[in-house]
Amino acid sequence: MTFYLYGFRSFPKLWKNNLYLGFGPGCSYLFLVDSSGIRNQPRWFSLATLFLQNTKTINLQATSTRYLRKEDKRRNKQVSSDSPHFFAAGAAKKRAQMNPQSKESVISPPLNDTIQLPTKPLTSEEWDKLKENFKRKTSFESWISSQLIYSKSSLDVAKSLLAWVAAKNNGIVSYDLLVKYLYLCVFYKQTSEIIDVYEIMKVRYKRLETEGYTLLIRGLMHSDRWREAFLLLEEIKKVMIPSKRNYDDCIQGALHHQDTNTAWNLYQELLGHNLNPMLETLEAFFDFGKDIKDDQYANRLLEILLYLRNNQLYPGESFARSIKTWFESVPGEQWKGQFTTIQKSGQCLGCGRTMESIYLSAEEYGFLKENIMRNVIDGGDQYRKTTPEELKRFQDFVKHSAPFDIVIDGLNVAKMFPKARESQVLLDVVTQLAKQNLRLLVLGRKHMLNYHSRWRKDEMKKVQNQANCFFADNISEDDPFLLYATLHSGNHCKFITKDLMRDHKACLPDAKTQRLFFKWQQGHQLAITSRFPASKLTFQHVFCYDTVVQTTGDSWHIPYDEDLVERYSYELPNKWLCLQRKT
Amino acid sequence: MNVSFTFLRPFARFMMPCTLHRKRRDLYSTVLQRYMSSKISAVSSSSKEDVAPPEELELDKWKMTMKSSGQEGASAVSSSEDEDPLAATRELIEMWRLLGREVPEHISEEDLKIVMESPSKSSKKKYLKYLYIKEIKKTAKQKKKEIKAIAKEETKKDNLLENTKEDKPQNFLFLRLWDRTMNIAMGWKGAQAMQFGQPLVFDMAYDNYMKPKEMQNTVSQLLESEGYNRRDVDPFHIYFCNLKTDGDYYRQLVKYYGEKWNKLFLTATEKSHVDLFPKDNIIYLTADSPNVMTTFQHDKVYIIGSFVDKNIRPGTSLANAKRLKLATECLPLDKYLQWGTGTKNLTLDQMIRILLSLKNTGSWEEALKFVPKRKHTGFLEISHYSQEFVNQLKKKSTLNSFPKKLPKYTCKENEA
Repeated sequence: MTFYLYGFRSFPKLWKNNLYLGFGPGCSYLFLVDSSGIRNQPRWFSLATLFLQNTKTINLQATSTRYLRKEDKRRNKQVSSDSPHFFAAGAAKKRAQMNPQSKESVISPPLNDTIQLPTKPLTSEEWDKLKENFKRKTSFESWISSQLIYSKSSLDVAKSLLAWVAAKNNGIVSYDLLVKYLYLCVFYKQTSEIIDVYEIMKVRYKRLETEGYTLLIRGLMHSDRWREAFLLLEEIKKVMIPSKRNYDDCIQGALHHQDTNTAWNLYQELLGHNLNPMLETLEAFFDFGKDIKDDQYANRLLEILLYLRNNQLYPGESFARSIKTWFESVPGEQWKGQFTTIQKSGQCLGCGRTMESIYLSAEEYGFLKENIMRNVIDGGDQYRKTTPEELKRFQDFVKHSAPFDIVIDGLNVAKMFPKARESQVLLDVVTQLAKQNLRLLVLGRKHMLNYHSRWRKDEMKKVQNQANCFFADNISEDDPFLLYATLHSGNHCKFITKDLMRDHKACLPDAKTQRLFFKWQQGHQLAITSRFPASKLTFQHVFCYDTVVQTTGDSWHIPYDEDLVERYSYELPNKWLCLQRKT
Repeated sequence: MNVSFTFLRPFARFMMPCTLHRKRRDLYSTVLQRYMSSKISAVSSSSKEDVAPPEELELDKWKMTMKSSGQEGASAVSSSEDEDPLAATRELIEMWRLLGREVPEHISEEDLKIVMESPSKSSKKKYLKYLYIKEIKKTAKQKKKEIKAIAKEETKKDNLLENTKEDKPQNFLFLRLWDRTMNIAMGWKGAQAMQFGQPLVFDMAYDNYMKPKEMQNTVSQLLESEGYNRRDVDPFHIYFCNLKTDGDYYRQLVKYYGEKWNKLFLTATEKSHVDLFPKDNIIYLTADSPNVMTTFQHDKVYIIGSFVDKNIRPGTSLANAKRLKLATECLPLDKYLQWGTGTKNLTLDQMIRILLSLKNTGSWEEALKFVPKRKHTGFLEISHYSQEFVNQLKKKSTLNSFPKKLPKYTCKENEA
């Protein structure tokens, strides 16, 4: 309790923010993150009122928050004025917020129970009394111990509970209570207690289950008996593959005790199981590397960076900072790191180097084309998305009408403005593009030619005069055709649609191909950003550089995730760590 | 543990004077442990200990008893030491059960093997949960059975008492129709349907798309459908088409039906439905179809794909119909029902009940009562539907004049 209060005092700014800006989504989020230790409401309120009593500070706070609020608004405006790129980190979240239909998710406060959780150790009689008030189907002991975990009660309370249970039960405490107690011990890092529980478990049970092992591994790693944790890891391996968290604990523990060989072996084993290591694990290697001046270790760290590159993983903010400090600590190489962004032209603001191009190599391009054809369009059953006759017709059509510059998803473009007529919007877009002497292909469905009020005959005729058109059956999917036509036309060809194509990406067989598809999509998708029908056509800029960990030997560029920005899996970070060697 | 204990004892004694408020305490083992544990959290919890000194609570006593009393149990377990992964898995499940996880109490050798061979932790847990629920249901059923048996015994006793009182013969007009008689009657009707009934085809071409669990569900749904059909006034003549004799469907059906399989009044064939019936007469029912069924036609052959799709692969049955160039239709669910949640794919028994009801009454309201209530919020009134249609038309006509209104529209947007 006292600890948390102390914690808040040391961050007064944050505290004020929460108190006065109310519980908007952003603010309350911040608060919850910082106070994850205390969840139950009554405690929290007592804390708030305690703070409020200090009337002197209130005025001061009020003025400063007013200022803060203004600042906040200005920042919000800035953000909304330039709409983020489709694939930029946090963009999806913003889109969801702009959509008025989406409901705010309200974090409901935990249910208040009639039983007040004890804050100090109780005697047996007191426990008995508490149990009388308990009216639930589950057993009192396991319920109360779960509640103790939930509210992170002090160890002594849990201990008194166990003492009471043991006294009632001939000195036997059941396994689930032991595990819950162990959880609290690990949470408070009480090493001696952990070892005691470990001894008890070893005596009583021949083999534990995964949760017990996981807690013991985490607990033992910080004690002198850390080597025994590896035995526990072996025990887990007998029944199943340990989790990446188990490996993380073991590796961090080994590094903590200066045993780098074991750590690297465990890391190799982790990769061998096809698990993705936690970023914390990798960060630990870098953190530990600062004190080691060893070429082999350095090479392995560079291998980790390449692993990040190959799997398109991005470090978090603190990880990026550890990478920076490690590079700067390498003796004799004089690395200098800075946090920057990349210009739209693909040049690093820090050093002016150009980032890697987004375009695929010829080999990758062929591979992707082949895969799209086989998995997305054909997919083992050509009838699912189209028919063989239609596919043949389309392939002939594409072959004869030469490469295109732009392929348009007719239905997606036409439905852009729900209040405008479809054919009119499509005609507008096609006309504006045709004026630039581009070879266009418009993909659509046959019902677009069944002229009625929303698809006018004259406008469709004009579209067909200005562009090549292909109309698929009404029950066929048009997106696969779009992908194929674009890929067939070559690297210069782009396609227009607002669709993020996630369902088609999901059809691809493995993560590597999906990443390739995503890279190609970033470089070739044009999304229309015009807000009003009949206004000038504007597109979202297309990335010309690839967002991935990259090196030129004497420089490294590493994109990273900011802590406070939520990034969806199909978005990309926009902050970079630029490292270069002085020569 | 013992070693470190003796080593630390003098150390503790030496440190005692520093913690004055614990002076009274005896130097039994708990002191050391208390001290060791409070050393780390001394900053945060020292004030609390002053308020409530836990001297008399003996917080660590349980550990000693746990350690000493546990020895016997452990030795019994460790005697059967073997490095068999199967045994290890069994122990893992046992420990999970102690932790209150959803795992079965008893597990057979085959199930244990399935658990052991499941590739991931989550698939293991999933299968164990399935076994757990199965076990719970089984025990509940057994309990019910016992209760029923007791109740039956009692009524029997009562009846015996009553029967002794009134023993005179009674006059009845009809013999009681026993289940057997009912079955015979249904058999006659079935035979009639085989001769003159309207064909209804279950397409069994989906065995490659389903996992064992889904296959099991499909077969139990087929059984239920056949049951509903048998009891109807005017049954369909059911065809199981594309039923391969070495396939999964066949094996499961024979397993479930047992001896009855060869005496069923339905046609099971390896041939495809397009070989048995003229193509023009066939209508493939699939929720993905763009065409909506308006009326039930008595001269058509309806086909239902016997396919439980838990993987959500849309368009599988539509692809099959497209391949054979068959007409497709879907039920007019949106037209008659205010759809809520859930997929529009209905189970096979729901489908056959809807079709039977349509065949007998021809009313959609009557037929669609078999759609699960959780999936919709009620029937749409037809007038409401047409009202919506009129509204749509109105909307379209206003939109047609869009170019004239354009300046106003943009103005509005700018203001916002």
